[in-house]
Amino acid sequence: MDALLAQHLLNWLVLGSIYTLIALGFSLLFGVLDVIHFSHGDVSMAAPFVALAAIQAVAAWAVPLTGTGALLLAILISMAAIGLLGVLLDWLVIRRFRAAPAMMALVATVALGTVIRELIRTLYPQGSNPKPFPAIATDVIRLGDIVVPVFSLIVIAVSVLTVIALFALLNHTPVGVRIRAVAEDRAVARLMAIRPNRIFAVTFFIASAVGAVGAVFFVSHAGVVRFDYGVQLGLIGFSAAVIGGLGSMQGAILGSLLIAGIDMLVQIAVPDGASYRLVFIFLLVIGVLVLKPSGILGKPVFEKV
Amino acid sequence: MADTAQATSALVRRNGPSADLAIVAGVELGSAILLWSFLLSDRTAVIVALLALMGGIFAALQLRPALEERIVAAFHDRKRFATLLGAVIVLIYPFFLQGSGYAFHLLIVSMLYAVLALALNFQLGSANIPNFATGASYGIGAYTSALLALNFGVSFWLTLPVAAVVATAFGFLLGFPSMRTKESYLALVTIAFGIVVHQLLNNFDWTGGPNGLVGIPAPELFGHSFARPIEAFGFRLPSQANFYYLSAALVGLSIVCAKRLHESRVGLAWNALRADPLAARCQGIDVVWFKMLAFGVDAFLAAFAGTIYAFYVSYISPDNFTFLVSVTIMTMVIVGGMDNTLGVIIGAFFLTMLPEKLRIFSDYRLLFVGVVVILFLILRPQGLFPQRARNYGEHR
Repeated sequence: MDALLAQHLLNWLVLGSIYTLIALGFSLLFGVLDVIHFSHGDVSMAAPFVALAAIQAVAAWAVPLTGTGALLLAILISMAAIGLLGVLLDWLVIRRFRAAPAMMALVATVALGTVIRELIRTLYPQGSNPKPFPAIATDVIRLGDIVVPVFSLIVIAVSVLTVIALFALLNHTPVGVRIRAVAEDRAVARLMAIRPNRIFAVTFFIASAVGAVGAVFFVSHAGVVRFDYGVQLGLIGFSAAVIGGLGSMQGAILGSLLIAGIDMLVQIAVPDGASYRLVFIFLLVIGVLVLKPSGILGKPVFEKV
Repeated sequence: MADTAQATSALVRRNGPSADLAIVAGVELGSAILLWSFLLSDRTAVIVALLALMGGIFAALQLRPALEERIVAAFHDRKRFATLLGAVIVLIYPFFLQGSGYAFHLLIVSMLYAVLALALNFQLGSANIPNFATGASYGIGAYTSALLALNFGVSFWLTLPVAAVVATAFGFLLGFPSMRTKESYLALVTIAFGIVVHQLLNNFDWTGGPNGLVGIPAPELFGHSFARPIEAFGFRLPSQANFYYLSAALVGLSIVCAKRLHESRVGLAWNALRADPLAARCQGIDVVWFKMLAFGVDAFLAAFAGTIYAFYVSYISPDNFTFLVSVTIMTMVIVGGMDNTLGVIIGAFFLTMLPEKLRIFSDYRLLFVGVVVILFLILRPQGLFPQRARNYGEHR
């Protein structure tokens, strides 16, 4: 196989994995709550900042951990913190829009995203400036002509494991059964002694924690983080979830790989592709939705009066 | 229900026609003075006090619906007087602004946003079609007219209709996917369209790239350049007054359009779409056409606002027309009250001026606006002025 092609394929998988981690959250939240949580990208993007703060805290308390160990601990802390942030936001804001029309919740969560971004910008020291983010791993493995960064392998492995864990959780655990029951029918789930609000909190925790991992990978890949990176990442994750079919986990993965694919292709094949990548990504989004109005794997909606 | 209706009608009857006049005049002059003091105050305490006063007024309206009913009834009965007084206030308003360029700027931008919000209201309010691309139509209008003026020397008055036609064509194009997609999926199509437009404006050479277009010439009318101050009745109004009257005329036109469309079969069809698309189709309403039409009308009005904006600031860049601008317009419609012309206009004024006047909170101003919007959506989900039931014949 051509070495360059293999390299591109690897990059595609890395990008696809990162987008998947964000898109899964959108799809899960929509499937269970019927709400588009537009600030999901911003919530996730708070994770790298928590991680940065945690690295400093770990160093300050003289815990004998440095380099990768400290970073891993920081990522775990940020996952937990962002998961809890998701639960908190649901409790404070989003639960008040359960019965409201879809557009209200959408606009409210867009405003919520602004609030989160502004909080990061104003509260984090020098929050308006880009911050360098440490690489999770800098080593590379050489397979003949192909250079495989260990970081890429970590991203792909973690994403695959996350997806497997999520599927296992949803399909083979009592909590998963409850989540699916609430997604299917809230009222009937209540009759089965399931407390929807508790399930919503669990769902928010899972979605936000998974998104946190995605955001940390994203900025580690870029090497830098800024308070407003969440807007674009959120838009791409949302698009991936929608073209895959909202509420479908497989759809979110498929949509992410599609978007990452066009992203890579444009940057390779189109001259000056880096500045036109968003154009092509969102043209793809429009194209898919024109052909498949409820996403590739979304269930067709039957209209009733 | 019946009790309240009776109580209100009793209230209506107890006050005679002269009370109606007083109420209309009081409300209009009161709002004008409130806006005036808000515009010209720069002391933190005064601004906070005025915001508290506005909050108090809305709380009163919220707690005493009869009060609102009374005002609405008065305006309904004295429609001609209310319109006349409103027009006079708008006409003489610039003379009281003490030549403050900042106050003029705020008013002009608010009015342009009011037009954009009214444009979106046809879609979101009347027909419940989400559209996150009003900012894009606004941009298409602005760029079309600016390019025509800069490259071909076309006059402002000619670019107005051309820009509107171009933007409407794009609006219909955007409407195509709406034939099949809906709700969140349609919302994403419009978001994607907005981003594509923004990115293309940002990347093409002939749109000036991220630097945008500079040096758009000021319009002229009967030999009077809009860059020159107005001198009338011994008063001297700053040059922004030209654009103030122009924008005010556009707002007036939009209101007339909104009213005429609302009362026509088109408005009825849109409302039917909002209530239930399938039921509307069963009634023989051409759902696809009316959805597309909503997109077209939205783009048409937005392009007018875009053209005026481009010639007013004489400099446009892609960052004036981002996704967040579209979201802001959407928020104005929802906060103001869907399908309520007055509410939408007030929403636009409120959300344009609030961030500007909150400069006293400097770094925390966007944070504050975000919190206010969320609180608003939670506390008054129906908007400042909720949509009113269609009313045929006599008042009540």
